[in-house]
Amino acid sequence: MEVTTDRSSSKDAELELYTIPAQSSWFVWDDIHEIERREFTEFFSESSITRTPKVYKEYRDFIINKYREDTSRRLTFTSIRKYLIGDVNLLRKVFLFLEKWGLINFLQKNDDLVVEESEAKIEQGTTPAGIRVTSTPNSTRPVIAPPLVEERAEPALTFPPLTSYSNVFKKPALFCAHCGQPCPSHSAAFYEHNNKSNVNLCEKCFKNGDYGGNNSADDFKLSLSSATAAWTEEETLLLLESVLKHGDDWELVAQSVSTKSRLDCISKLIELPFGEFLMGSASGRLRSDEHLSSPSNLVEEMKTDGQEHKETETREENEEDEPPAKRKRAAMMSDGDTSLMKQVAAMACKVGPSITTAAAKAAIAALCDEASCPKDIFETTGDYKNSAADRSVGDRDTSDIEEQEEEKEGLEDLPVGLRMRVSVATALGAAAAHAKILADQEEREMELLVASVIDQQLKKMKSKLKFLEQLEVIMDAEEKVMEGAKDTILQERISVLQSAFSGGITKRWDHTYMK
Amino acid sequence: MKASGSSGWKGPVKFRMPTAENLVPIRLDIQFEGQRYKDAFTWNPSDPDNEIVLFARRTVKDLKLPPAFFTQISQSIQSQLADFRAYEGQDMYTGEKIIPIKLDLRVNQTLIKDQFLWDLNNFESDPEEFARTLCKDLGVEDPEVGPAVAFAIREQLYEIAVQSVSSARESRLSKKSRRGSDYGSASKASGLSMDLVKLFSFKSSVVRKRKDLDIYEPMVDLLTNEEVDALEAREERHAR
Repeated sequence: MEVTTDRSSSKDAELELYTIPAQSSWFVWDDIHEIERREFTEFFSESSITRTPKVYKEYRDFIINKYREDTSRRLTFTSIRKYLIGDVNLLRKVFLFLEKWGLINFLQKNDDLVVEESEAKIEQGTTPAGIRVTSTPNSTRPVIAPPLVEERAEPALTFPPLTSYSNVFKKPALFCAHCGQPCPSHSAAFYEHNNKSNVNLCEKCFKNGDYGGNNSADDFKLSLSSATAAWTEEETLLLLESVLKHGDDWELVAQSVSTKSRLDCISKLIELPFGEFLMGSASGRLRSDEHLSSPSNLVEEMKTDGQEHKETETREENEEDEPPAKRKRAAMMSDGDTSLMKQVAAMACKVGPSITTAAAKAAIAALCDEASCPKDIFETTGDYKNSAADRSVGDRDTSDIEEQEEEKEGLEDLPVGLRMRVSVATALGAAAAHAKILADQEEREMELLVASVIDQQLKKMKSKLKFLEQLEVIMDAEEKVMEGAKDTILQERISVLQSAFSGGITKRWDHTYMK
Repeated sequence: MKASGSSGWKGPVKFRMPTAENLVPIRLDIQFEGQRYKDAFTWNPSDPDNEIVLFARRTVKDLKLPPAFFTQISQSIQSQLADFRAYEGQDMYTGEKIIPIKLDLRVNQTLIKDQFLWDLNNFESDPEEFARTLCKDLGVEDPEVGPAVAFAIREQLYEIAVQSVSSARESRLSKKSRRGSDYGSASKASGLSMDLVKLFSFKSSVVRKRKDLDIYEPMVDLLTNEEVDALEAREERHAR
C-alpha cells in the first residue's frame, strides 16, 4: 500500500502542474471569478433553483477534473454530458466557455483545424500550416494560447488555413528535373516549364539540350532567380518611394523598381517591419493613427540637435509612465488640428521607439506635400537619399543616426534643413506640452479618487456611530426597565415579609420550617 | 404566498418554439398510386407562403414523382403550418421545466439511442447545434444523421410546447386560487418534468448517480445492409 501511495503521490506531484493559457490565470478552484459571473448571468441571478452558483461550480469543477484525469485525450462534450444533471444546452455553454479559455482541451489540436489543413494546399516538406507554437505539454510554464478560431454565429464562414513563415518568406527548394541537382537560388537562372509547374531545369541541362521526358526547348522559359536574391538599399528606397506614390498598383511599383518583379516587391514589402503600414498609408493617407505615428517617429529621428534629443528622451519617459492616459486622450486630439505637424506631435505620444524606418520616407513625403516643394529636392541630393536609405533600412540606433546626420548636414540644402528643424522643434515642443498637461490631469484624477475614498470612509464611520448611538438609546431604555423591575420586586418582597410577619412566622426564614 | 426561491415564474409568453430559431418541424408521409414519399424537415414559419409551392414543385421535379404529389405535399405542409399558427396567438406557460428528451431513431444505417435533459424554458437552445456536436463527438459520418436528430428533438419540443399551451389555459382559468403554486401545478401537469426541487437542492449533487449513467449515455450503432432491410420490413409490418 505504501508503495502505491508513494507512486501515486509522486505522480500527482508530477501531474499537478497543468498548463493553461496565461490569460486564464484568473481561475481558482475555490471561487467563481467575475468573468464567469458575467458570462453566466443565468446562474447568478437567483431566478431559478436549477441555476445557482453552487450548481455552476459543480459543473465547472467536474468538467475540469474529468479532463485532467487524462489530459492526453480530447474531452468531448458528449462524453461528459451523461455525468451531469441539467439542461444540455446550458452544460454545453459551460463546456464551450471552459474550452475557449483553455481550461480544458488546451493541449489538444482542434479537429476542425486539422480537417482544414489536410484539404489546403501545402508545400512539400515545410511546416504544416496552422501548427501551434507552444512549449511541450506538461511544462511548468504557462503557455500563451494560440488564436482560437471560434465564431458560431456564422457557420458558413470558414477561415483560410494559416500561412506559415516559409510560405511567405522562403522560396521552395527547386531541383532540376533532369540532373537532380538543386537549382541554385542565388546565382544562375533556371528554366521553368510553362505547363508543369514543378518541372525545372538548371541552366546547364538546358544548354546541353537534356530536357528530360518529352519536353522540348519551347516548353521552358527563363526565370531569373538571381533577381530576387538581395535587395540593396537603393532598391529598398525606390520601393518605398514608389509604394507611397503608387499605392496598390504593383505593376507601376515593379516598373519603378526596375530590377525586381512584382511579386518580389510585394514580398519584400511584407518583410519590412512597417510594410503593411505603408501599403495602407499610401492608399488611405493620414487616415488612421498608425500612419501618423510613423511620421512622428521620423520626427524623433530627424532631430539634428542634441537638445532636441534630450527632449525626446524625457518625452519617452513620460510615455512609459502613462500610456493608458495617452491612449484615452489620443482620440480627442486626433480630430483637432488639421496641420500635419501638430497632429504628428500629438500622436508622437503614442509612438514607441521601435517603429523607425518608413517613418523616414513617409515624413519626407508628408512634409513635401505640406510645404509644397517637389520631392526632387530630396532626390537630387544623393547623399541625403543615402542617409535616408540608411535610416530606412532599419538603423535604430539614434546616436548613429545623429552622427550620420551631423555628417550630411553640411551637404544638405539649407532652407530645407532649417525648415525641418523649425518644424521639428515646434512639434516636439507641442508634444512636451501635451505630455505635461496629461501628467497634470492624471494627478488631479488621482487626488479626486483619493478624496472620494476618504469620503466613503467617513460615511462608513458616520453610519457606525449612528448605529452605536441607537444602541445606547436602547440600552438606556432597558436600564430604566430594569430599575422599574427591581423596584417592583422590592415592593413585592416587602409586602410578602409584611404578610409573613403578620401571620406570625419566626424571624428566621427557613424553608424547612414551612414544611 | 409564493414559495421562496421558486424558479422563474415569468408571465406567459406568446407561443413559439422554445429554441433559438423558431422553426417548425414538418413531417410528410404521402402515399399515392403505389409510391410513397416520406420526409421530415424544418420550416421557417415566417417564410412567405409561395415558398411552399416552390418547394413542392422542386421536390416533385427532383424526385420524379407523379404530379399528383404536388398538391398533396403543399396541402400537407400548409395544414401543419396552419396548426402551428393557430397556437401562435395563444399564451404559453414558461416555468422552469427540464424534461428528458429521448432519441431512438434510425437514419440509413446508423441507429441512435440517447436520452438527455432539456430545459424548455431556455429560449437559446439550439437542437441543430446539439445534433452537430453529437455527430462530431461520436464520429458519425453519415451527414443525414445530424438533421434527423435535430428534427426529432424539435418534434418533441413542439409537442411539449403545445401541451404547455393547454396547461397554461387551464391554470389561467383557476388562477385566482393558485397564484403562488403555479409552478408546482404546471410542472406536474405535464408529468414529464423532473422534480427540480429535489434534484437541485442544497444537499444533492448535480453529478449523476452511477446507476443512471447508462440511460443517459448515447449509443450509436452501425447496421449492415441486411439488418437495415430486416428492420425496414418490420417497420412496414407495424405500420400496416
